[in-house]
Amino acid sequence: MPFGGTPASAVSMKMVRVIAVTTGSSVYPLRTTNYMEQIMTTHAPPDTSSAARDLSPYPTDYRMWKILAWTGPVFLFAVFVLWGIVARNMPPFPPSATPVEVKSHFQELRLPLLIALSICLTMTAFYMSFSVAVARVMERIEGPGGVLSKLEMMGGTITCAPVMVTMAIWLTAAHEVNNLSPEIMHMLYWFGWLLFDLAYFVTSFQIAAISIVFMRDKREKKLVPDAVSWWGWVTFASFFAVSAIPFVTTGPLAFNGVISFWIAFFTWFIWIPSLAYFIIKAIPRLKAEDEASGRVST
Amino acid sequence: MSVLRERITMVWLGLVVLTCVTTWGLSKDLFSPAVAVVGIFLIAAVKARFVILDFMELAHAPIPVRVAFEAWPVVVSAINLGFWFATP
Amino acid sequence: MKAATADRVKSRRLPGVDGVWVAIGADSVIFAILFLTFMQDRLKDPALFEASRHTLNMNFGGIDTLILLTSSWSVALAIQAIKRDLVDRVPRYVLGAALTGLLFMVSKSIEYFQKFAEGLTPATNAFYMWYFTLTGIHLLHVVFGTSLLTYVWINSRRGTYTSSNRVVPECVASYWHLVDLLWIVIFPLLYLMKAA
Repeated sequence: MPFGGTPASAVSMKMVRVIAVTTGSSVYPLRTTNYMEQIMTTHAPPDTSSAARDLSPYPTDYRMWKILAWTGPVFLFAVFVLWGIVARNMPPFPPSATPVEVKSHFQELRLPLLIALSICLTMTAFYMSFSVAVARVMERIEGPGGVLSKLEMMGGTITCAPVMVTMAIWLTAAHEVNNLSPEIMHMLYWFGWLLFDLAYFVTSFQIAAISIVFMRDKREKKLVPDAVSWWGWVTFASFFAVSAIPFVTTGPLAFNGVISFWIAFFTWFIWIPSLAYFIIKAIPRLKAEDEASGRVST
Repeated sequence: MSVLRERITMVWLGLVVLTCVTTWGLSKDLFSPAVAVVGIFLIAAVKARFVILDFMELAHAPIPVRVAFEAWPVVVSAINLGFWFATP
Repeated sequence: MKAATADRVKSRRLPGVDGVWVAIGADSVIFAILFLTFMQDRLKDPALFEASRHTLNMNFGGIDTLILLTSSWSVALAIQAIKRDLVDRVPRYVLGAALTGLLFMVSKSIEYFQKFAEGLTPATNAFYMWYFTLTGIHLLHVVFGTSLLTYVWINSRRGTYTSSNRVVPECVASYWHLVDLLWIVIFPLLYLMKAA
């Protein structure tokens, strides 16, 4: 369907596609003298209707969008099954363990760790792809120029870094366990946990941005219900307690404790699929909204 | 609005009295540990229920929410007392 | 024109916004999990827990309970005044709640400093770890709640809140009652629960 449905815009989009095809550029239409194409940008002047301004002029690939939204649950599944169960991290091996105990633990579990941590490291990238899908839904509420959707995408993407590096640290520890002293093993174990846990604030930004934007949704039936946004705030609050882990090796605040592990991790583990469910559902809703207002472009 | 005649003021007075009973009454050595601990936690559950129904106004809340919140002091007391009796 | 019976029947509703009750419910469940874990740890060394419990001052604890109950009562009066559009009475009740919240913080601080002076810290033993963690996280809730009450107080002085605009104070009040509710359990659990 031609964008906008009027003859002038039909001509302009066709021109955009012709230019894109001939120049090989699939993202940026080159400058043309066509007036209609020039005004359909993300920098719409203030008097443009918000409907036109909210929607990017570029075609929306709803199918790809939905696939990316599904990668959120895929990430969770990978982390839960591989890191959580196979690598025996629910709960984690205690912070009070001595260097000898840590080395012995890695020796006993060497093969499961090599398998679980390597695959989990690679699959962590799915959290990034999920964040992109969420950002795009947020843009529909905030507008494409909104800062919170950008903050969310950055937060979700950067979250992958401490997770991947931590997996790599423990993977290395497992791989090299028979060449390393107990002290080095203990250090690698702690290095992983300190990085994994204390980088939480990047994820906090992501969660806060999501909760703020989805609570501002003006639809009568919000794309993401307030209950999920409020659960996001609970998760956000629960992360702060984790800052205690360098100072304790036993009790509720230790990295295997009820607060720093069970509550902090499981509030997040519950938030991911809850949010993902509504993001996945939001995409066909947004497509229907686009079709109803004649804005779908093919 | 006369503060003294409000239901929530009556509730507050009751809560104050119950607090004094547990803090300065039941905790004394006059009572055996079992009597003291059971009494203290049952009273805590009663206090919790008043806060939930009258202060939080959940008496007028949708039934599922009211039930869930009323269950909280019951569950918490059961956990605390259950473990207490299981502890030597 | 409503029938007389319809006037008296209030439709069931939650104070404030529905979503805040997700947070209040989650917080309640989280603390219930903490209470359970505390009791599990106590099972491992009841003598240690009992001996440590004796160093706590139950007068402090009891007074703290009375302070929070009074604070809850005060904010409940504020909500009632808002519902009846007694706009000029609202600030004093909210201020009462905020000041008693502040009083709790002072009381707790004194108690903590006394403990530190006696050489008792979270690192001393498992009981003290739990004592400082439970009361500490609760204290953070009190600080946050008192800040919210202060914000509501400032707005109430301008007559912002009325029977048709009361969502924010209701949310804050509901959260504040949670803070009170949690202390009602934390106090006997740590201070009064003597060994068998």
